[in-house]
Amino acid sequence: MKLSLLGFVFRRVRSSLRRLLWTHVLTAGTVAMTLFVFGGFMLLETNLQKLLNSWGDQIQITAYLANDLAMGDVEDLIKRIKALAEVERVRYISQEQAWRDFQVALGSQSGLLEGLPREVLPASVEISLGSAYHQSPAVERLAARLSKETQISSVEYPQVWVEKLSLIVLVVEWIKWVFAAVLFLATFFIVGSTVKLAILARQEEVEVMQLVGASEALIQAPFVIEGTIQGVAGAAIAIAGLGAAYVLLEREMASMGGLLASAGDLRFLNLKAIGLLLGIGWFLGAVGSLISLRRFVRTWHASGVRI
Amino acid sequence: MIQFLHVWKTYPPNYRALTDINLEVANGELVFLVGASGAGKSTLLKLLFREEEPSEGQILLHGKNITRLNRHGVAQLRRSIGLVFQECKLLASLTVLENVALAAEVVGVSKRESRIKAYQLLRELGLKDRHDATPLALSAGERQRVAIARAVINNPILVLADEPTGNLDADVADETMRLLLRMRERGATIIIATHDFDIVDRYASRVVSLHRGVLTEKPGWQLARGSGR
Repeated sequence: MKLSLLGFVFRRVRSSLRRLLWTHVLTAGTVAMTLFVFGGFMLLETNLQKLLNSWGDQIQITAYLANDLAMGDVEDLIKRIKALAEVERVRYISQEQAWRDFQVALGSQSGLLEGLPREVLPASVEISLGSAYHQSPAVERLAARLSKETQISSVEYPQVWVEKLSLIVLVVEWIKWVFAAVLFLATFFIVGSTVKLAILARQEEVEVMQLVGASEALIQAPFVIEGTIQGVAGAAIAIAGLGAAYVLLEREMASMGGLLASAGDLRFLNLKAIGLLLGIGWFLGAVGSLISLRRFVRTWHASGVRI
Repeated sequence: MIQFLHVWKTYPPNYRALTDINLEVANGELVFLVGASGAGKSTLLKLLFREEEPSEGQILLHGKNITRLNRHGVAQLRRSIGLVFQECKLLASLTVLENVALAAEVVGVSKRESRIKAYQLLRELGLKDRHDATPLALSAGERQRVAIARAVINNPILVLADEPTGNLDADVADETMRLLLRMRERGATIIIATHDFDIVDRYASRVVSLHRGVLTEKPGWQLARGSGR
């Protein structure tokens, strides 16, 4: 497109933004509300994931070793376990260490252990998993694999915990996408209706432009640019709103203390997520306008008016 | 040259607006298209600027068939045609100068150049003092002059005017005609659809009559006047 035509298009956009200011504000506001809700879920998911990861660090598999294993066999076993992709850290606990730990755990009641042989507590290996393997199936798979080792007599892991954590992440993710689908669809319709209003308000102008030989692209471009502005402005408003909500929430949680304060710092959306919100805003605005424009043009053609 | 070759136009379900039109108009010619309301004058003009497509036949403009153009082709065609309507079709939200400049701007002429050309035209048409007014503040005659300025700003090869003097009193109608004829002097072909027989009397060079969609071109235009009334 020639530079002069580009200038013409932007002058039409500026004129439309002035003339139909409140229609455009309404659409940008709708996009902003949609993306605020969607971004809110993203924020929740980000922080939940962070929380789960920190909890997940505590998830470990305990493998109890068979009695009377030679130290060489134990070292070989630890080496094999460390080589597994899922494993982040391995800690060997000898029978002696296990006995001492148990005494410490019992505290003043450690006298109960008197008379018991030290061999009653088996040596074990505590295996911490990498953050990518905190989900239930990965833990189960690894536990099953370890059970097959002849040097290991039994394997324990917090199965219920793992399943619950995985479920929470899954539910949040699903709610986010279900909400997104409904809200995006609604926003598409609202953007479409605004474009129809904009076309109707400028029907005379469009007709005159056609009569003097304006190309289809020149007539349609201002509508798509307006949609882009509405979408991106809506996304920017949503991001600003999420930022404000985040600051308030962080301040509130710090003042509450206790469990919430100990949950660690909240995390805001990263650049990728902000880019995604802006991209969705652009898509809702520009593509919503284009789809609506094309549909409207078809109706116009059917009734004899050309655009 | 414009050529209509066996052109028919039928509107659904079965209304025949034009019947087997065969017509040739030479470059630079002034043609009056006369006939009663509903005779098919506007339809014939609409076929020329591709607001309508013929049901059958071909229309050639400088040898190019314009009956089967895509949307881009239609836009290109209209850039070479100046259109003047009885109702002027000016945009109330724009000033007189902006209305005229719009036609140049949409074909890629810069804003500055478009406005200079528009201002020169308005000065030529005696409207330089009204360039900043909106169309609503103008008289009917002034509006028609603005419409003519917009129609000719891109130096069209063809000017189509549909009842351009319809709402104007005799003096203003004469002035409008003089402006259109000035375009002819610049080499444009002019086709004017009208049922204003006084205008045709004064300016007739060639008259084509339409009666219920049938074209009857006869040497004496008085015959056309007879069938038109």
